[in-house]
Amino acid sequence: MTVPRQQQAGAGAETGSPLLEVTGLTKRFGGLVAVNSVSFSVGRSEVVGLIGPNGAGKSTIVKLIMGILRPDKGSIRFRGRELRGMAPWNIVNLGVAGTFQNTRPFRRLPIIANVMVPCLAPRARRRGEWVKRIEVKARDALEFAGISDLALEPAYQLSHGELKRLEIARAVATEPQLLILDEPFGGLNPSESDLLAKSIRRLHRGGRFGRLHSEGMAMIIIDHKLSYLLRIVDRVLVMNFGQIIASGTPDEVVLDSDVIEAYLGKEEMA
Amino acid sequence: MRRYLAYLWREFRGEILVLPGRTILFSATAILLILPLLYPHPYLLRILALTFIFAIFAASWDLLSGFVGQLNLGHAIFFGVAAYASAILNLRLGLPIIITIPVGAVAAVVAGLVVGIPCLRLKGQYLSLATLAFPVILMGLVFMFTEFTGGELGVSGLTRLAPTRLHEYYISAFVGVLSILAIWKITDSKLGLVLHAIREDEVAARASGINTSQYKLIAFCLSGLFAGIAGGLYAHFMRIAGPQSLSMLTSFQAIIWTIFGGIATIYGAVVGVFVLFPMLEVLRVAPEIRLLLYAAIIVLVLRFMPEGLAPWVVDRLERECPRCKEHNAFTRRECRVCGTPLRVPLQKTPVSGEHMSGGEGLSASQEGG
Ligand SMILES: Nc1ncnc2c1ncn2[C@@H]1O[C@H](COP(=O)(O)OP(=O)(O)OP(=O)(O)O)[C@@H](O)[C@H]1O
Ligand SMILES: [Mg+2]
Repeated sequence: MTVPRQQQAGAGAETGSPLLEVTGLTKRFGGLVAVNSVSFSVGRSEVVGLIGPNGAGKSTIVKLIMGILRPDKGSIRFRGRELRGMAPWNIVNLGVAGTFQNTRPFRRLPIIANVMVPCLAPRARRRGEWVKRIEVKARDALEFAGISDLALEPAYQLSHGELKRLEIARAVATEPQLLILDEPFGGLNPSESDLLAKSIRRLHRGGRFGRLHSEGMAMIIIDHKLSYLLRIVDRVLVMNFGQIIASGTPDEVVLDSDVIEAYLGKEEMA
Repeated sequence: MRRYLAYLWREFRGEILVLPGRTILFSATAILLILPLLYPHPYLLRILALTFIFAIFAASWDLLSGFVGQLNLGHAIFFGVAAYASAILNLRLGLPIIITIPVGAVAAVVAGLVVGIPCLRLKGQYLSLATLAFPVILMGLVFMFTEFTGGELGVSGLTRLAPTRLHEYYISAFVGVLSILAIWKITDSKLGLVLHAIREDEVAARASGINTSQYKLIAFCLSGLFAGIAGGLYAHFMRIAGPQSLSMLTSFQAIIWTIFGGIATIYGAVVGVFVLFPMLEVLRVAPEIRLLLYAAIIVLVLRFMPEGLAPWVVDRLERECPRCKEHNAFTRRECRVCGTPLRVPLQKTPVSGEHMSGGEGLSASQEGG
């Protein structure tokens, strides 16, 4: 597992530096500062949880990293490259993939076609050139997300939980190095959530999933279902009002008084 | 030889005769290609040749606006650019048709870039409004450089498409069939899948690593290419390129034909032209109320077939297998591919929960058996 990762690192300058480094990131919507000078980093194959009450600015951070929104200030460096100002597709092709909190399927396309689209992106093609049939690869992504039996249904027929899994299948299909999941457990029932937690851990450990290959990708996971989230992540960042108010291991964070006040005080711990 | 013929027959039966929709399309094409030989009436040939030319034009609009969702209200620009380019090359430089029509089509591709690049930053109604402006601008240029474009009168006296009407018809028909097949093949390819995805959700396509700007430009250029082929053919067939080829009416006709026939299907656009264009000629029997009747028929058809004529007919004649999604003739009791019983009429409304559990049950029983 370490061999391919070093191959990917390429330049020696990258060793030791974090995979993703966000500094002073700021985003305003009119008068509202949704993200206020946020700095954090994610190490290689680290799983980071991002939590905070509704409207804290978590999804905005995801969209800024994915290049869907443009930051007002700050920088986002991925493997030493500045992502700010880059087109979303270039960011994906560098190895960052994310899911949307409000799922965004290609509604009238069958599920399999939904996942074939990212398989047609340059990154996926480059990495799997020996796979002539992208459909096979798309099927593996569906298999991984546990919705392969629905492959031929159009996306508008899916339930909310299934759409969440479709989002994950689409993100995984590009074989990213950094995977960002925005509320993957939202709308899933307990047994579905257990399955998903298991898949995420499997993905993180790395290995082969049919034609898909993972080298133990780094992840940022956002969710309100802390009972699931805290079991998966190595480290937690807590946001409130656009700022990071605490960070640490899951055990440390649940004991932090600021966090309890800002977050856990208001919402029952799931 | 005999084995090869047997193979062809088997392919023909398996690919075309199994589905009523394909059988109809195939027979119609065959009739259109054979009938003029038996009955070469010049007026009939003229109408049918124009129908083929406009079918390319409508299909090219459907490729850009139906498939990629870039609602183009000024599609005539591609048609007009190619018509004028072919005409000027033919008359001023004396180039033959074999050069003028391809160069005209290339000019329309360039027009595709000129329209497409500013449109990359626009969406929805804003994009449509911008596209509306391009033919108007070009029309202004036509009236500015009259010594070159002939102004109001246009450029006339072009070389005929072919020496006889029959030849002209067959050139239009063959170019028409080939272009439409090419467009249909594009929508059925990986490129088509990406274009589909861009229409469904552009942001999600970007987040899937697709360079949507590049693909949208490709769509503008391809659409321009085929509209340009139609424009060049038209100019040589009518032996004139005039300002009406850039008019709003030309743009809107493509839209009406396509929506009437069935948008985002390609075959619907073609069916729309083949029904509406000859119909407008037939309606000449009642000149006073011709356009009124024409409009009334379109409104009535769309009232009862909101998806367009062709998809409505296909829906009656074919049934989708609930399991493998293959189409089957309505007469079949079970799917021709996977054998699933088809007797239950397919639900139209997407009732997700119910439908889904039914589907899973079927596949489970299939595996058991
Ligand atoms: N496009 C936008 N325009 C204006 N305001 C926005 C926009 N997107 C987000 N906001 C605002 O920015 C703030 C942060 O939103 P964000 O979606 O990042 O929150 P969140 O932490 O993801 O919340 P949740 O847990 O509910 O998903 C909210 O107050 C929201 O109303
Ligand atoms: Mg959110």
